[in-house]
This record gives sequence, C-alpha cells and structure tokens, in this order.
Amino acid sequence: MSDTADSSAADAAAAAGPSNEGPAAAKAPVHEKLPKSISSLIFIRDRGIIVLWLFLIALFAIWAQPYFFSVSNAMLILSAGAISSIFAAAIAMGVFSGALDLSVPGVAAFVGMCSAWMISHDIPVWVSLLAGLAIGVVIGVINARITLVGLNPLVVTIGSLTVLTGLAAVVGGGYTIPGLDKLAFIGTDTYFAIDQTWTVDVQPWFLVPDFSFQLGGFDGVAGPVFVMAAVFIVMTVFFTKSRGGIRIMAVGGNAEAVRRVGLSSDFYRTMGFVLSSLLAALGGIVTAAYVGEANPAASPGIIFEGLTAVALAGVSLAGGRGSLPKVLVGALILATIGNGLTIAGADPYWALVATGVLLIGALLADLMLTKAVSRRLVSVGNLSVHGKA
Amino acid sequence: MSERAFDLTGIDLHYGFVKALDGVDFHVEQGEVVAMLGDNGAGKSTLMKVMSGAHRPTSGHIAVHGREVHFHSPHDAAAAGVQMVYQDLALVEAQDIATNLNLGREPLRKGPLGWLGFVDRKAMREESDRELDLLGVRTAPMHRPVEMLSGGQRQVIAIARSAVRVTGESNGILLLDEPTAALGYEQTRLVEGLIRTMAGRGIAVVLVTHNLPLAFEVSHRIVVLNRGRKVADIPTADTENDHVVGWITGSRPSMFASA
Ligand SMILES: Nc1ncnc2c1ncn2[C@@H]1O[C@H](COP(=O)(O)OP(=O)(O)OP(=O)(O)O)[C@@H](O)[C@H]1O
Ligand SMILES: [Mg+2]
Repeated sequence: MSDTADSSAADAAAAAGPSNEGPAAAKAPVHEKLPKSISSLIFIRDRGIIVLWLFLIALFAIWAQPYFFSVSNAMLILSAGAISSIFAAAIAMGVFSGALDLSVPGVAAFVGMCSAWMISHDIPVWVSLLAGLAIGVVIGVINARITLVGLNPLVVTIGSLTVLTGLAAVVGGGYTIPGLDKLAFIGTDTYFAIDQTWTVDVQPWFLVPDFSFQLGGFDGVAGPVFVMAAVFIVMTVFFTKSRGGIRIMAVGGNAEAVRRVGLSSDFYRTMGFVLSSLLAALGGIVTAAYVGEANPAASPGIIFEGLTAVALAGVSLAGGRGSLPKVLVGALILATIGNGLTIAGADPYWALVATGVLLIGALLADLMLTKAVSRRLVSVGNLSVHGKA
Repeated sequence: MSERAFDLTGIDLHYGFVKALDGVDFHVEQGEVVAMLGDNGAGKSTLMKVMSGAHRPTSGHIAVHGREVHFHSPHDAAAAGVQMVYQDLALVEAQDIATNLNLGREPLRKGPLGWLGFVDRKAMREESDRELDLLGVRTAPMHRPVEMLSGGQRQVIAIARSAVRVTGESNGILLLDEPTAALGYEQTRLVEGLIRTMAGRGIAVVLVTHNLPLAFEVSHRIVVLNRGRKVADIPTADTENDHVVGWITGSRPSMFASA
C-alpha cells in the first residue's frame, strides 16, 4: 500500500516537473500535486456558481431581449439585489462563525425604527446612524452571551427575533415612521446618471439568434449599491486577510481547535454574532432609507433569501467555510431571476419556483461533486505521508 | 537528563463516583521520553489531561521545573511550556495546513497593514514549511486544506501543531495521547522520528500508546497504569515485553507496595 502511494506521488512530482511552483519545488520535490481530474472537479465545485450566473444572464439576454441586457437593467438588478445581499452577508457572518443567526430580520426592523425615531426627533443623521449600528453590536453581544451559556443558537436567536419584533413596534407605537428624506443619500438617491442612449445590434454568425442591447441612458447607481459594495469589499478582505477573520472562520469550523491553541473561542464566536447583528442593523437602516419610512414588521423573507444566497454560494451551514464574493453572486442570482422573469413577462410566482429548484439543484450538484472528489482522492491514494526524501 | 521537567505526586481524580486516578506519582525529565502504558480505561488519558490543564486533580501536587503550579486551564499549562496532542485531533478542516499550524500565532504583515491585523500568508507558509522540515515530517503543500489530507497526514499536522509550540520555549513538555493510533507502518516511523527529534532537543515527551514495540523503540522509561494506579515505573532497558504485558493486564504484581 505504502509502496504504491510512494510511487504515485513520485509520478505526480515527476509529471509536474520544473513548472512546479518555481524555486519551492526544487527544494521540496516530495510535495505531490493533485491529479488533473481532481483539481478540475474542485474548480467546477468552487466556480460553478459564477458559471451558473453567466448562464442565467445569457439565457435572459436572449429570452428577454432587448431590455434585459442593458446597463440600466444591470443597475436595476444591482439595486434590487443590494439590500438582500447585505442581509445575506449578515446571515453568512453567523454561518461562518458556526451559529445561524435568525434574529437578523428583528435586528433590522428594530434598528431601522430606532434610527428613524431619532431622525424624526431632530437628532443629527450621523448620530442616529451610529447609534443604530451600536444597538446592532449590543444585540449581537447579548445573543452571544446567552448562546455561550450553552443554549442552541437557533432557539436563542428565534427568541430575540420575537423580542425585537415586539420592541420595534413599541418604538413607533405600532406605526411606521415616515419622512426619512435625510437618509435618501443611502436610499433612493442615485449617482453617476447618464442621459444618452445607444442601441447596439449584434449578428452572431451561428446558433444564437440576432440580438441587440442598449448602452447608456441609465438613471445612475442607487445608494444601497454603494453600501453593498463597501460591505462586501471590507468583509471579504477581513475574512481572507486578517487575523480576526481567519480565527472567526476557524472557530466556526472547530471551536475546540481554537481553544487548544490557547485562544478564547468564546470571544471569536461572539465576534460572529456581533458582525451578523451589525450588518443586519446596517441592512435595516438602508431598507428604511430606500423605502423612505421605517417599518416595525420584521420580514422573514430576509432569512429565506439570505439562506438561499448562502446555500447557492456553496457555504456549508455546518460553519467554518465559505466565500463572501460567492454569497454576493448568490444574492445577485436571485435578483437576476426575479428581474429576468419579470421582463420576459412570466408570472412573478415562477421566480419563487425557479429559485427553489435552483437552490436544491445547486446543493445536489455540490454534494455530488464533493463525493466525486473524495472518491477520487481515496482511489488515487497519493495523499499519504512522506518523509523527507 | 537531570532536571525534572514535570513532577506529579499523589494525584487523585474522581469523575463523580468513578476514581480514575488513585495516588499516582509521575515525573518526566528534560530530553526524556516516557511511554505511558495501560489497558483501556486505565486512566492514561485522564492523567495526561491533568498534566495539560484540561482537568484539575481532586488532590495531589504538580510541579514544573521544581516550581509548584496550579493549572486552571490548558492555557495555563501552555504558558508553562506544556503542549498536548489529544486523541481527537481538533484540526480546522476547511483551513489549510499553514493556517492550522499557525492558529493563534499568525505572523502579521509589516507596516500599517500589520497594525490592522493583516496576516502575512506567504511568511506563514514558508515558516511552516521550514518547521516541518526541522521536525523531519513532510506532508502535502502548505496551502492544502486539512480536509483533503489522509488520516496519517492529519495526525502528523496535529502533532506538529503542538511540537512547533513547545520548541518555541526552550524547556518544553510534549504530551502525546495515542499519536499513532490511526497510522500505518510508514507514518508510525515518521512520528517515532519526530519524537526522537523533540527529545534530542531537550524536550520532555510523554507518550501514551497501545503499541508496545513503539514504546520499547522510542522510550527511555516505561510507566504502566492499571485501574488508576501506577503499577510499574522502570527504565525501558531494564524490562521486557512479557513483564510489561503482565503489568498491563494485572497478572504481574505491582512494583509498588499497595497503600
Ligand atoms: N469525562 C469522564 N466522565 C466520567 N468518567 C470518565 C470520563 N473520562 C474518563 N472516565 C473514566 O475514567 C477511567 C479512565 O479513563 P481514561 O480515558 O483515562 O482511560 P485511558 O487509559 O485513556 O483508556 P483508553 O486506552 O481507552 O484511551 C475510565 O473508567 C473512564 O470510564
Ligand atoms: Mg485514552
């Protein structure tokens, strides 16, 4: 057994040859490479969602031409996806750190109401916004404290969802709080609008029917899109590059591993809850800004859409893994489907059907690919340990 | 091989009504490898957990380098230079080898990015590569996720994670609870070499194992536990397989007068 393992690794190293990672390879010839078949399967598993998105865009570009494939429609999709993707990021924070946080809609409603209340009482906008975000942080800490006593995070956050929904109604006496014009800069205001339009006709030379698309003439980029961009850029950098992010991921994957190396796993689990609530609070504020009024009703759809985006992104609900850019693509896929089907004139309920089918299909594909990868890893058997040659 | 790195006397530990350890004395010196043997449930893991700070003894004294200590957590033990590899490995599956080896001591980038907590992944990989080289254990490329490693490779990474931390301080103590349980012949030899390397550097190693040939191969001294009591404590050179088996099964009387 160990003989075959040795020789296959030697083959792999030999096959990889001098192109094998430059100088490191010369120093470390025993480092085996994964066989092509496995690395390409892994590539499909890790990049499949982007392929899926491009496929959907191509599909709608043909089906719903000429309106779908235009810059201004792309902006519409972005705007529609912006707020739900912020919430998807909030859900993802919890999932990464190993605790699905169901209180996200409650935090959004409560913080939206609190910030709106402050603004309607002539408190400066920036104070109201910061106070709203601070409330989010506090809620995250409270959720974490209760969970870390030893309770199931699902139950704890359902409890706080209920409490926060009640409190949100208390803030406004059961009514919405309108008149949030001061928040328009992250809501309905748009930036970089262009007035002219150009229509481009394309005649591909085979298979695909002729189509046309429009350039220019869009109403600009809406405020929430900028918030979305900021959230995803900052959070992606945080999770991939920084100590804190790496440790939050690690605690989601295996809290015991974090504890054993002498770190406080409780601290990093708390960080997960805090980030989740912070982004939920931000999403709540942006929602109120976009709609122009704060609504005390928590929308459970936030959870379903967020979870769908997270699952489409191939993020395991078991925690400890996942990529935020893919969560963003997941959220944008949902927005693309909704938009495309509407333009194509399909009954909007089909968007729900398509989303659900896609979700389950994506999960099945992911499962099958993962199984195929591990089956090949075992049969190749090149993953044994090798001493220094 | 003179100073006592770790010295435990009269350790009792009760799990509820179960008396898992009964008046156990145990010590290990710098640079010494002690094999701790015993049947299932003899109390080996329990004694190791006392040494690693995971459990507090009901009574008894613990001294590190001659100074009495009270471990309240594995963190305290780690601060005193004690690292343990548990029977369950507790690796972060989704993360790569370098991240697992460096969790909790990630190198930061230089300059402002470092102040913001940005990790220098390149330095981390190179450093890990070097450390595994020094330990004489080569596995897969540093950026491969642990979930894609074989059982043997994982075991090696788990041991290395602790080993690189004890080597940080000069007079470390490394506790290994059945490090070769899942390993084949080749990998067991690898771990054996690693243990020798560590001991050669003056690190005190305690090895719990059911693999008698391994124990005879690497240890300087053999300690046998039977139902929570120490029944043998003898230089490896002064004993033989049959005697040790006798102590393990209980057919051979204890070396110590029963109290
Ligand atoms: N957490 C616990 N709670 C209660 N009893 C325990 C606990 N851990 C161990 N025990 C008991 O203590 C005794 C010693 O267990 P220990 O795990 O130390 O044995 P061991 O020598 O490591 O055995 P093995 O070779 O199977 O790993 C056993 O009787 C066991 O059932
Ligand atoms: Mg044990």
